[in-house]
Amino acid sequence: MSAHETAPQSAERRLTPADVSAVRFDRGSMLSPGYDLQQVDRFLNRVGHELMRSTQEKAELRDRVQELQRQLGEVGTPEPPSDQAVRILASAQLTADNYVAEAEEFSRQITSDARTQYEEQLKQARESAGAIIHAAHEAAARMAREGGPRETDGASVEELQQQVAYLEAFGRAVRTQLRSYLEALITDVESEWGKADPGALPARPVAVPAQRSVEHEPNVVADVTALPVPSVDAGPGGEDR
Amino acid sequence: MDIPAMRANFAKAAAAGDEAPLWFYSHLFLSHPETRQLFPVSMAHQRDRLFAALGEVVARVDDLDSLVPILQQLGRDHRKFGTVAAHYPAVGASLLATLEHFDEEWNPALAADWTAAYGLVAEVMVAAADEAAGDPPWWGAEVVAHDRRTPDIAVLTVRPEAPLPYVPGQSLSLETDLRPRLWRYYSPANAPRDDGSIELHVQARDGGPVSSALVRLAGVGDLLRLGPPLGSLALDEGSDRDLLLVAGGTGLAPLKALVDQVARQGPQRRVDLFVGARTEERLYDRPALERLAREHPWLTVTLAVSDDKLSALEQGDVADVVVRSGPWRSRDVRIAGPAAMVEDTTARLVASGVAPDRILGEAFAASRPSPDVDGGVTE
Repeated sequence: MSAHETAPQSAERRLTPADVSAVRFDRGSMLSPGYDLQQVDRFLNRVGHELMRSTQEKAELRDRVQELQRQLGEVGTPEPPSDQAVRILASAQLTADNYVAEAEEFSRQITSDARTQYEEQLKQARESAGAIIHAAHEAAARMAREGGPRETDGASVEELQQQVAYLEAFGRAVRTQLRSYLEALITDVESEWGKADPGALPARPVAVPAQRSVEHEPNVVADVTALPVPSVDAGPGGEDR
Repeated sequence: MDIPAMRANFAKAAAAGDEAPLWFYSHLFLSHPETRQLFPVSMAHQRDRLFAALGEVVARVDDLDSLVPILQQLGRDHRKFGTVAAHYPAVGASLLATLEHFDEEWNPALAADWTAAYGLVAEVMVAAADEAAGDPPWWGAEVVAHDRRTPDIAVLTVRPEAPLPYVPGQSLSLETDLRPRLWRYYSPANAPRDDGSIELHVQARDGGPVSSALVRLAGVGDLLRLGPPLGSLALDEGSDRDLLLVAGGTGLAPLKALVDQVARQGPQRRVDLFVGARTEERLYDRPALERLAREHPWLTVTLAVSDDKLSALEQGDVADVVVRSGPWRSRDVRIAGPAAMVEDTTARLVASGVAPDRILGEAFAASRPSPDVDGGVTE
C-alpha cells in the first residue's frame, strides 16, 4: 500500500493501525532525497485528525460507560452460569491454549534450528579462515627465513597478503550474512503469531481491501533464501566450501 | 472453622488436576466477563499457578504468622495486573462454585467455612494493596536505547516516567504491549542513577514470547510497564567482605549492578567478577566490562568460554575457572545464570570451603513468570 492509495478523498474511511504500519512513501527526487514530502505531510495530517477524533470518542465513551455502570448498579446480581456453559467455555479455552502452545513450539523449533545452523556455519568459516591465515603466516615466515621474496607455490608475499586480507573480509561477510539470514527468519516467525490480545480484538471483523492482502503476505523467508551466499569463486584463494 | 474438612474438600478439587482450575476460570469469566482481559490469551501457565498458590494457602491456614506476609505480598503484587477490590468477591464466588462442583459431599457448613476463610484472605490482600496505594501499581517506562549485541541478546535502556526505587541485585517484572498480560522478571544492570534510567539485559529464548519480542521487535520509543522490585541477590549491608561475583549469560545483569553499587556507594572492597559464556561472541557486554576493569583498580574481570577452542580467553565452565582461581573463603559470593550453572558453582564453592550462608544464587530460567507464593521469582 502506498501513501497515495491511503490518502484519497474518502473522508469516511477511518485510518486503521494497519494503515499506519503498512504505509509506504515514494522516494523523493535526486534534488530532495528522502521520502516525498507532500505525501508525508498529507499522511501526518490524517494521523493528527484520527487522533483527535479518537480522543473525542474516548471522552464520549467514558461518559457512556459511567452511565451504563450506574444503570448496572441498579440491576441485581446475574444468575450464576450453568454447568454446560462452563464446560463449553472450558473446552474453548483448552483449544486456544493448545494453539498457543503449538505456535510457541513451532517458533522454538524454527529459532533453534536457525541458530544451530548459524553457529555451525560461523564456526566452520572461522576455523577455515583461521587455518588459512595461519598457513599464510607460516609461508611468510618461511620466506623471510629464506631471505627475501621468492616464488613459493606460485604465490608471492604480496599475493599472500592479499589473500589474507580477502579471507578476513570474507569471514566478516559470512558473519554478516548469516546474521541477517537468521534475523529475517526469526522476525518472520515473530510476526506470524503471538500478538494476540483478547482486549485488542475488534468487535466485528474489519473488511480488508483485496489489494492489501496480497502485499501483506509475509515474504521474508522467500527473500532471505534468495540472499546471495558468499561464493568461493568471487575471489582468490577460495576453498571447496 | 473445620480446617480438616476444608482440607479434605480442597484435596478433592486438587485431585481433579487441570480440570479444577479450568472450571474455576471458565466460571469466573462467564459470571464476570470483565475479568477476562486481566489474563493472557493462553491460560495454561496461569492454571498451574492458581492451584499451587491456593494449595499453599490451605496448607498454611493454621499458621497465620507465615501465611499473612505471603498474602500481603500477593495483594501488593496483584495491583500491577489491574486487580481491584471489586474483583475479590467475584473470584470468591467462582472459587466456592468450583469447590462445590468437585465435591459430592458439599454441605452448607463447608460453604460457610470457605466463605469465611476466603473473606479473611481477601481482606488481608486488599488491605495490603490499599497500604501500597501510595506507590504506583506499575511504572510506565520508555525504551530510550535498544542495542542488539548478538542475534539473540539485546541490551535495553529504559527510563521510568516516575522514580522507581530498587536495590542493586533485585529484579523487576516487566510487561510489553507486544505481548500483553505476560509479565517476566528482568534485573537492572546498574545501581539507581540520577536520571532514573535502567539497563536491562535480555536474552531471546527459543519460543519465548516475551524475551524474543523484547530482543527482536522492541525499539526506541516503545513503552513498557515495570512492576515493583523483588529479589534476593542484594548485598548484605552488615558486611564489607570482598566479593566474588559469578555470572552466566544474562545473569550478568544483577551482578553488574552490584559492581556499580560498590563503585558508587562503597564500601571499598575487592571485587572479582567471572563471566562465562559458550563462545566469545556471546560475551555480549565485553567492552563495558573491560572498561570497568580499567577504571577500577579494585575490580578484576575474568571472561571464560566453554565451547570456543579458538578463543584466547579462559577455557572451561565458569565454575571450573572460578574454583581454579580460588580460594574464595573470605568472600561474599553472588551467582546468577542458568539454573544448572548456579547449582554447580554453588556446590563446588561450598566443597572448596566457602560458607554456604555467604553464597546467594539466582537462577535465570527460560521463563521467569510471576513470583510464587513465597515471593521467589525463579522456578
